[in-house]
Formats: sequence, C-alpha cells, structure tokens
Amino acid sequence: MTIANKKVLVAGMSPLAQELKELISKHGAQVLSLDQLDEHQDSLDYVVEVTNYNLEDKKRIIQQIDQALAARPEVPILTTSLAITATEVASWTTSPQRVCGFGTFVPLAERKLIELAPALQTEESIVKKVEAFVQSLEKETSIVDDEVGLVFPRVLSLIINEAVFALMEGTASKEDIDIAMKKGTNYPYGPLEWADQIGLDEVYAVVRGLYRDLGEERFRPASLLRKMVLAGRVGKRSNQGFYSYNK
Amino acid sequence: MLVSVIGAGTMGSGIALVCARKGHQVKLMDTNQSVLEKAQSFLQKILNRDVEKGRISESEKEKIYQSILPTQSMEQLADCEIVIEAVPERLDLKKKIFQDLSNICSEKALLLSNTSSISITEIAAGCKGEERILGLHFFNPAPVMPLVEVIRGMKSSEENVQKVVQFAKDLGKVPVTCNDSPGFIVNRIARPYYNESLNILGSRIATPKQIDEIMTKAGGFRMGPFALQDLIGIDINFATTESVYTNFFHEGRFKPSRIQQRMVQAGRLGRKTGGGFYDYSK
Repeated sequence: MTIANKKVLVAGMSPLAQELKELISKHGAQVLSLDQLDEHQDSLDYVVEVTNYNLEDKKRIIQQIDQALAARPEVPILTTSLAITATEVASWTTSPQRVCGFGTFVPLAERKLIELAPALQTEESIVKKVEAFVQSLEKETSIVDDEVGLVFPRVLSLIINEAVFALMEGTASKEDIDIAMKKGTNYPYGPLEWADQIGLDEVYAVVRGLYRDLGEERFRPASLLRKMVLAGRVGKRSNQGFYSYNK
Repeated sequence: MLVSVIGAGTMGSGIALVCARKGHQVKLMDTNQSVLEKAQSFLQKILNRDVEKGRISESEKEKIYQSILPTQSMEQLADCEIVIEAVPERLDLKKKIFQDLSNICSEKALLLSNTSSISITEIAAGCKGEERILGLHFFNPAPVMPLVEVIRGMKSSEENVQKVVQFAKDLGKVPVTCNDSPGFIVNRIARPYYNESLNILGSRIATPKQIDEIMTKAGGFRMGPFALQDLIGIDINFATTESVYTNFFHEGRFKPSRIQQRMVQAGRLGRKTGGGFYDYSK
C-alpha cells in the first residue's frame, strides 16, 4: 500500500506532530493541519492526533475532528494512547469504532517499529487500515492491548522516572547515572539524556497517566520530573532539561 | 600494586584477571582448594584464547598468569594495598571477612566489596578504619563490561573514594560514584526494564516475544527484557529485585512479579536450565 496523494490530517501538541508531518509528506501524502479541517472534511483519508500532556486540549481536538467527520465514520482517527487509553479517547466521540491508539516517542528516525493499540470499540476494518497506513511509512507494527503508554513508552518512562528519583535523592550525579546505564547494561542512551531528547512533558504524561488509570504506587511520578515540566524545562526542545543545550 | 581478590568464583577470577592484565600482582584467595583450581583453569582458558586471537604473546600470557597467586590463607593478604572481596552475597560472610581484613591488613589498605546489593555501611560497621571500606561493583563478565560503581559507605572518606576512582581508571574501567543506597545505580534504575515488562505480560497487554521485539525495534535496546532474563538467570534477576524491594522497605515501585516467582519455583531459570521465557532445549 502507498499513501501517495492521500490526505492526512496531523493534529495535536506533541513533538511527534512535526516529525510525523515530515515523515508522511516524504511518503507522498498531502499533510493537512487542524485549521484546514473544514475545507477538506469531505476528502480527508486519515487523521493522526498526538496530544499527550494536556488532555483537555486532546478532548477538544478529538471532538472537533469527530464532529467535522460525522458523516464519514469510515475515516480512521489514529490517536496517541500515551497518557490515556484509546478506549477513553474513543468514548469522547460519536463514532468510537474509528478510533485506534498508537504510541511512540521522537525521534521517529530511530523507531523501526510503532505499536498500535485498538480501543475496545475499534472496528477490525479500521485496525487493518491504520496498520497498513503505518506500514506505508516504512515502520513495522505490533498490535498490543489498550493500556496507557503501550509497551515501549511505558517501560522507558518508568526507567526514566526511577532515574529521576535516584537523582532527586542524590544517589549519583546525572552524568554518572547516564554513564552507568550505558556502560553497565548497554542502554542506547542514559535515561536522563534520553528524557531530554524525547521531551520531559511526554515522559511525565505517560507516568501520570499510568498512575491516574491504574492507581498503583509503582507509577507515582517523581516530583522533580513534574516540576521540570511545569518550569518549562522539557529538554532539548526548550534548550534546557536535565542538561543545558545552547544553540 | 599488590592487590588481592577474595573469592575465586566467576566474578572474583574475572576481577583478578582485570588487575593482572594491568600489571598488578594479585593474590587470589579462596578457602576452597577446588574452587581455586577451577579458577586457574578458567584463567588459562581465557589467556590461551587471547594468545590465539593474537591479542597477547605467549610470554605476556605467562607473565599475567604467573602474577596471579592462589592462596587459601587470609593471613597472606597482610601486605596488600587493595583488597577486593567477591564472595557470595551473604551479609554474615562479608562482615566476618571485613572484620578479619581490618585486623590483618595495614591501616592504609583499601578494603573494597564487590557486593551488588548489600549496604557498604552495614558491611563496614564495627570494623577498624571504616573510612577505607568502600564498594567497588564490577559487572558480569568483569573482564568485558567497562563500568564499575564506586560506592561511598556512610563512613568512607572522600579521599579514599578518589583513590578507588583512580584505581578503577587505571584498570581501564569507567568508574561512576554513588551513595550507599539499595541497588546502587544500575541494579536500581534497570528494575523497571524487567519488572514493568513482567507487569505488562501479567496484564496480557503483549506476549514476551512481542515485548522483546518492541523494546529492541522501537526502543533500540540490544536485548529484550525476557531474552535478557533468560540469559542472566531468572532466579538471579528475581533475587536482585527482591533485595532492592526489601531494602527500600517495600516501596511499591520495586514490587517483584509473581510470574517471575513462579518461574523460579518451577525451576525454569532461563538458558542454564534449557528453558525460561523461551525454550532452549532444541
């Protein structure tokens, strides 16, 4: 399958949005933004929505799209289920069967595979469509059950959360924590430099979402992680995270 | 330098080799003669392979091999400047060794424990010269893995921390320093890699094979969490988690997995038993 000449709406606040736009247009599709929704609502082929940190924004955007496409329930909405389940996002819509979750982190160039998580309500035909769509972007897919953060974002976010606890407690310096995980157990990046690359807001959204939905102590966010997001120190994107990045 | 390593198991002999390769004189001490003999043939095997691969000459091999002196007596370690303890992870055993060492060795000797899970502060408590007792945690296999964690017990002196850091650098290792907290850095921060994957499996979100594929292909990790548990030994991995959990006073973030416990109870421990999360019997 190819997405050449298809129309894909990419909406949402995550840093994933920009990278997805580039990746999708590289594969020949026409990328549209939210303010072009009304103009193209009769001809849109796919919707990708990627808000994670602010869930009120996510709800507003999803409902706006769902309403504009009310007459076309066959158009799939692929939404990030990083901070919230796809099932909950689908529950906000009038056509929940078209909503399917997915999740990953930037940079997309380093992801050979992207996870998909159908909501309880997702129709099988929609799952097939979004699977083919993601594969047309030259990414392998793996279908997992719908739970906050899927697999890779959930596991990595909790590793990062633990690294932040260790940092807060003064167990070791940020540099030593990163070196230790690369040289002692072969991680591709140290957890704190990795968080800076992904965006601390994205990581925090996953941990907070797990804590909110599952309620277990194991998902309690490190308070420093939350404070850094509130202070706008989200990583490379803002030139300041655990490390400083001067342009 | 005159170095001694106590405990001639896999870790101890590996550490002895790392020291001997950098020109240190090493006394490798174990109370069990057959363990010492096994260690010597293990060292021979590794050094022979180094010669075959052209990494060292025959005479270099001999020199390294001869610089590791096996002994069964703790008294023999009296003149050592650095002692590295690498015996099984039992507090009573380690406490006894450090009590003896603090009496036998000179006051300036650095006494280091390769423990991965026991508090350095607790090992050192009551010993003569607690300021020179520190952790020096190597990773398995010690001759290959570059990292060492230098652990500051509550009474370790900063001067001695710096000495151990320098010693580790001279061994060609990459040292990091950390305070005496459960699991130190790596064994603590790596817990969610295994535990959360097990939790995801327990909730039937994905299969072990799927999770491994996702973590390697989406995450860029070299090995998936289940293949890695099979390699490490599920019993070893479970024991580490239990120890971190216990020492953090049952902090929920480290809660062990019942799936892993059942695997241990069933004796499905990974590659070494022919099966773990995957089957290796064919």
